[in-house]
Amino acid sequence: MKAAVTNVGAGALRVAEEVGGIVILTGQTLRALVPPRVDSRELFKNLYKMGNRSVPIIVLTAFFAGGLMTLQTGPFVKKLGATSLAGWGAGYAVLREIGPILIALMFSGRVGANNTAELATMTVTEQLDGLRALAIDPVRFLVVPRVIAMMVMLVALTVIGDLVALIGASVVGHAMLDIEWSTMYHSFADNLRPYDFLHGVYKSIAFGAAIAISSCYFGVTVRGGAVGVGRAVNAAVVAAAVSIMLLDFFLTYLTG
Amino acid sequence: MSLAAPAIRLRDVHKRYGHHELLAGISLDVARGEKLGLIGPAACGKSVLLKLVCGLEQPDRGEIEVLGESVLGKREPELGPLRQRIGMLFQNYALFDFLPVEANVAFPLERRGGLDARELADRVAARLRAVGLAGSEHKLTAELSGGMKKRVGIARATVADPELVIYDEPSAGLDPVTTQKIYDLLADDQARTGATVLAVSSDVVALARFVDEIAFLYRGHIVHRGPAASIFDAEDPLVRQFVRGELEGPLSEARP
Amino acid sequence: MMRAIEAIGETAVDTSRALRELWLVYVGTIAGLVRRRRSRNRGELARQLYAIGNRSLVFVIVTLGFIGMVMTYEACLQLSRVVGDYSQVGPQYLRLVVSDFAPTLTGLMLATRVGAGIAAEIGSMKVTEQIDALRMSGVLPIDYLIVPRFVASVVMTLVLATVGGVVMYTAGGLTAQYSFGVNPSSFYDFQFVRPRHVVMMIVKALSYGAAIPIVSGFCGLRARGSSEGVGWATTAAVIGSSFAVIVLDFVISAAALFITGGDL
Repeated sequence: MKAAVTNVGAGALRVAEEVGGIVILTGQTLRALVPPRVDSRELFKNLYKMGNRSVPIIVLTAFFAGGLMTLQTGPFVKKLGATSLAGWGAGYAVLREIGPILIALMFSGRVGANNTAELATMTVTEQLDGLRALAIDPVRFLVVPRVIAMMVMLVALTVIGDLVALIGASVVGHAMLDIEWSTMYHSFADNLRPYDFLHGVYKSIAFGAAIAISSCYFGVTVRGGAVGVGRAVNAAVVAAAVSIMLLDFFLTYLTG
Repeated sequence: MSLAAPAIRLRDVHKRYGHHELLAGISLDVARGEKLGLIGPAACGKSVLLKLVCGLEQPDRGEIEVLGESVLGKREPELGPLRQRIGMLFQNYALFDFLPVEANVAFPLERRGGLDARELADRVAARLRAVGLAGSEHKLTAELSGGMKKRVGIARATVADPELVIYDEPSAGLDPVTTQKIYDLLADDQARTGATVLAVSSDVVALARFVDEIAFLYRGHIVHRGPAASIFDAEDPLVRQFVRGELEGPLSEARP
Repeated sequence: MMRAIEAIGETAVDTSRALRELWLVYVGTIAGLVRRRRSRNRGELARQLYAIGNRSLVFVIVTLGFIGMVMTYEACLQLSRVVGDYSQVGPQYLRLVVSDFAPTLTGLMLATRVGAGIAAEIGSMKVTEQIDALRMSGVLPIDYLIVPRFVASVVMTLVLATVGGVVMYTAGGLTAQYSFGVNPSSFYDFQFVRPRHVVMMIVKALSYGAAIPIVSGFCGLRARGSSEGVGWATTAAVIGSSFAVIVLDFVISAAALFITGGDL
């Protein structure tokens, strides 16, 4: 019994320590943005790397996700005879929820994890210490460009992904449920408002920040060689996933 | 020296990594009970050669016979029985970090089977005593120093009294006194069991005191093989320069 | 132009080779399972069940709870705009939770958590040559490392999906009740759940549970270099497992649609 309580306590302390560390890193990052002096070469390098690498997988995922939504809602809508609402069923779920969340999760896995691995390897091989010895602040030089790049990229990818998901929804609707392209298109156009689209985009900004900070934090606080790197990546993706779900909840309630 | 088939026989072995041919036609015999040392510049294929001998990798071309059996084209399960007659000390110890010292050393014996728990524990304890680690049975690898890990590695490699023992850099990263202790240990072992030994080392002085002959691997070929005692007076200028650590000579000119 | 074609060709060859190796890992795992070899990895299965199950429990509950609340909120919001009648929300939601959301979201969460964990463990063993050391002792890495994780993952994914589903549904019910005044008795209604939905859930959970350790174990075994290699393996495992979950979801849902003739 005592052991169980100790475990819970220790776990809570660990989480608190991590949350604290993340808050500190966020503070440092924000401070480095004012005034905005960012190494533009690092920024562009990261933008390119993160965007380039993730487009294929995000596009594929979005396509399948859109198709899935149609598979789930389409038959129900068809049974009701309300095929004109088919796009609505799949569409709003995609734009407001499934799209941003799924794309954020895949982004976290592809870019976030990779970023943590890179930063962790740099830490383990003492490159961060090397930077400090050269009077270069690792946060300003490494973390800030990556945070900005990840946020920008996630928003862009969410926009692209949303569109691809709608296409995927239409393709599946047409191929498997015999719903006409024009029906799908009109039901999107009639029932989905720009606000629904933007709602998803706002969320992706928040998700991007969460993924970026979590990914960088666990990367630079790594300890212990190759094993530590693996653990850091693990922790980063888990933290990002939890943050995404929590943020989604709060944002949905706040902005309706 | 026995007249039986050699412990190791390599004929015209080739192995390439990517676009680089690491081993370009190696032919080598090691008689039973002989101790052969292998030296050469860093990253020239020494470790790869050891892996080929164990069947951990397959050559692109050539024949490899170990303890009378060919290792070519064999799949993992087929190599099991042969590997049980070989003991290997890996360069970075490769200790199982999820097991304590005792379980690490017992591992090869357990796989073999045929011993009851009592005999197994006795043999493990005897081995640990021989390498000077009596009392460390329950420690985890993370709690051991470099020298201790090496000794556990040696204990694990020799606990099953194998006919062929392979040592990959037995003294790398150790201070001179520990180095000598390790080599004394290896010598005692071999004197007791009469096993064949293949040892790779960058510490030519210590190696020369331990092995019978030394072979020099350079740019994919064995360019020299002779008695260990006279290695420092070798006729080949390449070898002489290498073992004496001189800066001038054919080695530095011929660097790829 | 030629170079672009070459690059695509090379990628295609690499991908097909990787897929083939992945298939071999899968076959090897099933073979190891069937053979029940003398791997004598005492207690490893129990250890894995704990690592995968217990330690992911809180994670799954938190994430699925929150997203359950969000989904119900969104659904009620949309319905209030279009139809104004909430009586269908609960039952329809339950149908979707059982047949899709619970297993798939659990699968995605586990792909992240368990996938990264397995790849990190096996990957670090690979780069520290422990895998080679296992082979030298006559042990098949797939039998020793992947099979226990496979069994544990298949079992635990189903368990966690069930728990997650319950949490999701209840959280949704509470949201509907407190934010939209939906009557609990009209929400907690099983009328639309058919046996086929339960079957779908079980098939999906088992498939995801099978796919995640295979993909992650495969990535771990291919790790090369040192810390970089482990990082890369972990990343690949998370992506691969997540993507596998999504594709499997799609395939199983489509197959179900086909089999039941469009009546989900």
